[in-house]
Amino acid sequence: MPIKVLAIAGSPRRHGNSETLLDWVLASMGEEPDVVIEKIPVIEADINPCLGCNACEKLNRCVHRDGMDAMHDKLIEADCIILSAPIFCMGINAQTKALIDRAQVFRSRKYVLKLPIVPPERKGKRLGVFLATAGQTWTHVFDAAIPSVKCFFHVIDIKDTDCHYLMINGVDEKGAIDRHPSARSDAHRLGKVVISDLKKRLAG
Amino acid sequence: MKRMAVTVLGISGSPHRHGNTETLLDSFLDGARATGANVEKVVLKELTFSSCKGCNACHKTGTCIVQDDAIELFEKILASDIIAVASPIYSMGITAELKSLVDRAQYFWARKFILKNLYFPEDHIKRHKGLFVSTAGTSWDNVFDGAYPVVTAFFNGLGFEYYDNIIASDMDSHKGIKNHPTALKEAYEKGKIVVGVVENLKNQGVAQQ
Repeated sequence: MPIKVLAIAGSPRRHGNSETLLDWVLASMGEEPDVVIEKIPVIEADINPCLGCNACEKLNRCVHRDGMDAMHDKLIEADCIILSAPIFCMGINAQTKALIDRAQVFRSRKYVLKLPIVPPERKGKRLGVFLATAGQTWTHVFDAAIPSVKCFFHVIDIKDTDCHYLMINGVDEKGAIDRHPSARSDAHRLGKVVISDLKKRLAG
Repeated sequence: MKRMAVTVLGISGSPHRHGNTETLLDSFLDGARATGANVEKVVLKELTFSSCKGCNACHKTGTCIVQDDAIELFEKILASDIIAVASPIYSMGITAELKSLVDRAQYFWARKFILKNLYFPEDHIKRHKGLFVSTAGTSWDNVFDGAYPVVTAFFNGLGFEYYDNIIASDMDSHKGIKNHPTALKEAYEKGKIVVGVVENLKNQGVAQQ
């Protein structure tokens, strides 16, 4: 069985810094055998914000019919979910936040309806990766985004300890990440580490 | 001497009409109204505006290329003395709707820090107060922590002092804000107090001129 990687490019800007960082990780993963990668830009995925209606607490599904229907299934099927996003105004960009908020259906399933997210045999065999870039050079620039990202992975049954992070600050204009001293090699290394870890977990 | 009225703008960032957060905001606005302030409430869900495209065109022009309801709302914000920005906590952060508005303020950031044609003097910031109104389902101590830096960035960008929070957690146990022992009353009192504070600051300014 190939390893399924779902890569979500959260930035409204195509091929900017956060997507480039994602592409580097994907290129590294793609060098390995039996890895199937699907990349989805959030702005092309037709994902509307959560209505806060709480209907999912009863229905076990969202009342919205949009791109989240397909995304919902992909989030369950993937062995590795990579979320990449830029930091805007100290938080994750709004489009990516809309996706995270729509994961409420998983939270309802897990904690209200007490139903499984993935079959028991797949628990602990999925990994999450969060990639982020920020224009600011402050080291704390990612701090407010991380709790939302942890929420997202948590409700889709990926534990905190099964998440990897690569966050690059001080890259603002398009292409700035190309000049970063370590981002490309860190991304390459991360791709290898995640695939090798997944192979071990899926074999075990 | 005629005292200058204080204008208060409430911005509701919840997708859920008349839920816990909007009710808490209403209580704050009622308190403000009771002291004679001009009060208005805007519900983001009823406006039409898109998220920031990250195009950075504003870094050159100082204006946003997307002309929609967000632009008029920013004009309204800048014409207000007090803004109360409200959002429930979804997934440890503000809602995507409110985050959309926050992200769209990028052109003020560009004007301040790149084009350097916008500057809020210290006394302006002191006279303009921002409050964050929020509720959360869980009782976790850290549930609002992801929201504060974003709200701070928003108030800073628009020349408002981050004056106070009106927050209530553990809505799930309370079964809604209406059953919270103190939150609505505190919000009402805070509305009265902040209007008084800003009114004094504004009229001190007039007296000095």
